[in-house]
Amino acid sequence: MVSEEKKNELLAALKEGVIQYDEDLVKQKAQEVLDCGMDANTAIFSGLVSGMEEVGRLFEAQEYFVPELLMCADALYAGLDILKPHVSPLDLGVKGSVVIGTVEGDVHDIGKNIVKMMFDVAGFTVYDLGKDVPLDKFVDEQLRTDSDLVCLSAMMTTTMVGMQKVISNLKAKNPNVIIMIGGAPVSHDIAEKWGADGYAKDASNALSDAIRMISSLKKLKEKADANKK
Amino acid sequence: MSLEGLKSLLSSAGAGVVGFGDISAVVSDEISHLDRAVCIGLDRNLNRNTIDVLGSLQKKAAAWLKEKGYRYLCIPPDSDRVKGKFVSNLYPLLCHKTAATCSGLGWIGKNGLVINPVFGPRISWATVLTDAPLPPDEPIESEQCGLCSLCVSHCPSGALTGNSWSVKTPFVELIDLEKCRSHKKASRTVEGKPNCGLCINICPYGRKKFHQEELVHEKT
Repeated sequence: MVSEEKKNELLAALKEGVIQYDEDLVKQKAQEVLDCGMDANTAIFSGLVSGMEEVGRLFEAQEYFVPELLMCADALYAGLDILKPHVSPLDLGVKGSVVIGTVEGDVHDIGKNIVKMMFDVAGFTVYDLGKDVPLDKFVDEQLRTDSDLVCLSAMMTTTMVGMQKVISNLKAKNPNVIIMIGGAPVSHDIAEKWGADGYAKDASNALSDAIRMISSLKKLKEKADANKK
Repeated sequence: MSLEGLKSLLSSAGAGVVGFGDISAVVSDEISHLDRAVCIGLDRNLNRNTIDVLGSLQKKAAAWLKEKGYRYLCIPPDSDRVKGKFVSNLYPLLCHKTAATCSGLGWIGKNGLVINPVFGPRISWATVLTDAPLPPDEPIESEQCGLCSLCVSHCPSGALTGNSWSVKTPFVELIDLEKCRSHKKASRTVEGKPNCGLCINICPYGRKKFHQEELVHEKT
């Protein structure tokens, strides 16, 4: 069994590695986690994700800019690639399956990819349709995979209008589906008017919303762990 | 150590040429705070080793800048770009050719490639963008090939237009890309590889048997 001290040291190193966008350090420490038999879930949530939470804060405070944010995300993924095969599925009581994509006519997918990453980390099954996705494809994919969450992204006002159609089609086919929309031109009012269940204003908001979501998942997980004991 | 120290650090670590460029006029808005380019060039052997050395030089430069508290963004060599990384979305924001000319390490020849006075077009590039106030080198703003047009006359697909590059006329067409591509496509079906590279091989700059030292001497 790995000592408490070693465990904390590795968690701190993973967190710092993500914050310092040091891919090599993250890879090395993630491997150490596996080598000493530490729980991969803990390493992801208390190490990598804790780091990304801090990165989100630094980004909002404009300490970090887009290049740093992306390098941090790459560092997180480098660790995730190593740890993920060893993760036991989280029992959160939610069915983790989400369809995500950038709507037709729009090729801006950085924000979408960051949100996707957060779902990945949370152990959701992510069906990423990519960018410039034909509107019907969202509906088809949701029905095919029976996902209960659909995330739409658009960065331009001209492509944003496509979301409205997707939302009404989705709701018509499956009233229970949860729809989140995001991207620069989207507003709270638009989300409400078009019948979306959630919205994120821009990449940084999508990120912090996703982080908030992961944080609450984390709490659920901690609670579940406590109940087990 | 002063900021100039980065150059000697990279040179002693094996860089062929190193330059600092002021790119504030050409860098896109998204990363406009990164207004300096550290441009690293290495003799092009087109093997894995060149790419690995360039990669490690780039890492060295990044670590050096980070340690001093500056921001940076690595643009890796064109042949070493891992797809699907988040940061790779930013690679198209500045190309190595622009960084090289801004850093005074070469000009764009009639073959559309960076021509360095010592290595000619036989050079591979890696770039690190940063907000460190590096003292910029004198940029090169127009072609220095003179009357030489060997690459134009030797191009098997006639893709080179023979026009001269200058920063003042950024939209002059140097290469008919369609012709160049179709030639490479044809050679892929015949030889199994899309290799051509005649416009590199023929360039007198940096060509071994042209006694490059003398040539450089003449130039300067």
